[in-house]
Amino acid sequence: MITMTDVSKEYRMGAETVHALAGVSLQIDSGDFVSIMGPSGSGKSTLMNIIGCLDTPTRGSYRLADEPVERLSPDRLAEVRNSAIGFVFQTFNLLPRLNALENVELPLVYAGISSGERRATARELLDRVGLSDRVRHRPNELSGGQRQRVAIARALATKPRVLLADEPTGALDTRTGSEIMDLLEELNHDGTTLVLVTHEPELAERARRVIRLLDGRVA
Amino acid sequence: MGRRSLWESMRMSGRSIAGSPVRAALTALGVMIGVASVISLVALGRGAQEEVAGGLQQLGSNLLIVYSGAPRGTALVRTNISNIRPTLTETDLETIRGFPADMVTYVAPASTANAQLKYENRNTVSTVIGTTPEYTEVRNFRPAYGEFFSQSDVDSRSSVAAIGMQVYRDLFAPGTDPVGQRMRVNGISFRIVGVMEEKGDAAQDNSVLIPITTYQRRISGDSNYAMIAIQAASPDVMRPLQATIEEHLLRLHRLPSMESADFYVANQLDLLATVEGVAGTFTLMLASIAAISLVVGGVGIMNIMLVSVTERTREIGVRMALGARRRDIISQFLTEAVLIALGGGLIGIAIGVGGSWAVTEFARIASHITPISIVAAFGFSILVGLFFGGYPAWRASRLDPIEALRYE
Repeated sequence: MITMTDVSKEYRMGAETVHALAGVSLQIDSGDFVSIMGPSGSGKSTLMNIIGCLDTPTRGSYRLADEPVERLSPDRLAEVRNSAIGFVFQTFNLLPRLNALENVELPLVYAGISSGERRATARELLDRVGLSDRVRHRPNELSGGQRQRVAIARALATKPRVLLADEPTGALDTRTGSEIMDLLEELNHDGTTLVLVTHEPELAERARRVIRLLDGRVA
Repeated sequence: MGRRSLWESMRMSGRSIAGSPVRAALTALGVMIGVASVISLVALGRGAQEEVAGGLQQLGSNLLIVYSGAPRGTALVRTNISNIRPTLTETDLETIRGFPADMVTYVAPASTANAQLKYENRNTVSTVIGTTPEYTEVRNFRPAYGEFFSQSDVDSRSSVAAIGMQVYRDLFAPGTDPVGQRMRVNGISFRIVGVMEEKGDAAQDNSVLIPITTYQRRISGDSNYAMIAIQAASPDVMRPLQATIEEHLLRLHRLPSMESADFYVANQLDLLATVEGVAGTFTLMLASIAAISLVVGGVGIMNIMLVSVTERTREIGVRMALGARRRDIISQFLTEAVLIALGGGLIGIAIGVGGSWAVTEFARIASHITPISIVAAFGFSILVGLFFGGYPAWRASRLDPIEALRYE
């Protein structure tokens, strides 16, 4: 599913070059559940951005579902994000003016799906995450846990191959966080590849495999 | 861009505008004022133009006048020609009269002189015009009371006169019937046959019209004519007719070219063109000033759109993460700018049309709304939205999704 070979990422910060990633190689199989761990500054975020096709590597190759994505144009990357990746963010990143249903529909708008079909899919997904009675609520009318469920439903909208969760419980209390983790694990059981980025060891341990990053390398 | 994605962009923009209606309204205000002023100022300009052109048509329709002497100025109707030696002959007149009917409808020779008028113990000074009955047709100048003198009056050199309304007022007490009364023109007795309609033009209202033959015999003693007024058969033949007249008269007067001619032809078309040109320039100037306010309105849109892009950086990041391409972001913000400009434009059109109507209705100032100005204002609003929304939308589409997602 995900094959990275010797991926490096360098930034220029003024006169200095920062090596955020220095030759990372990894393989994530379809249906796998992998945690990426590491202290801040370890290159975790950079790795996640590259996996999520928000960023491209300076060197090395990255194949997503056998497609090389390391040299795609911004618009092609957007299309890959839309069809192959589902993002779950720490701070949910729901659009405040849209209700739950419309938030879930958003990726389908960019996929060019018709309005009726979008609505049906979004309802189904909100039902799947246990929010069928909250479809018309706006984010500010929902609790943190409910917001994250909406975000997960949105991430699933285009049936992506990979669910990329970046500290998905970071803004939630322990009990709610664990419910969200249960939901993500359930989705993984149903076949979605799950990549979890976290700095909490007890969360990372729930994955089948933990990739630890240190100073831009796999430790 | 497909129809569906345009529709989606419009829905998104509609939501965004509905989310902050006051801001959208204030943003649209500049375009609204611009469009309203363009519409109403152009309407006023057109109104003035048509009023002036209408006034010119009052002089007579399809009018050409052959004057004695070298060209002087661009005036079609010259009031003070009494001091110019008449050079147009009987042969000239007959030649023009001989032109085919599909070129010339009416021909009237005329000569004028200043004259002292006297009726009982009242005196006045006016212009005496010797002419023929065709003059009423050519100059669109008809008797309001009584009648004009006839061709037989011309043939028999009768001492009859039709007087202008101003002459009537100067010589007669209100309510007096002047027809049949005798007055003196430079001491010669004339019988009044009619009073001409009021034109609001001093030269015509203060004139006395007498048969040209009587004029030649008793007033000037000159058998030439000072001018020949001609009504062309249609506006289309006016220029060819002018050329034909010049050609014939040059030959008759044995002259090589119009540069040395002792006559010239004034053409109503030229005067109309001049006046409409001036009025058109004036209208264009008003429209340009108003268009400046439209541009200022556009700058207002750009300003607010840039603020909006900055405020919504995170939203843009989220949309990009979910698969929005650059063109999706561009079309979203561009559609929003165009909708705001168009909304302002439509309200501006309504205000402009309403304002022009009110000015005409209550202040009695002529205005004329042309469909083209409405269409242009409509199109201009869209262009302003596209142009001034373009840069903010482009900026939004160029955001780095990672940076945008991190934006607080």
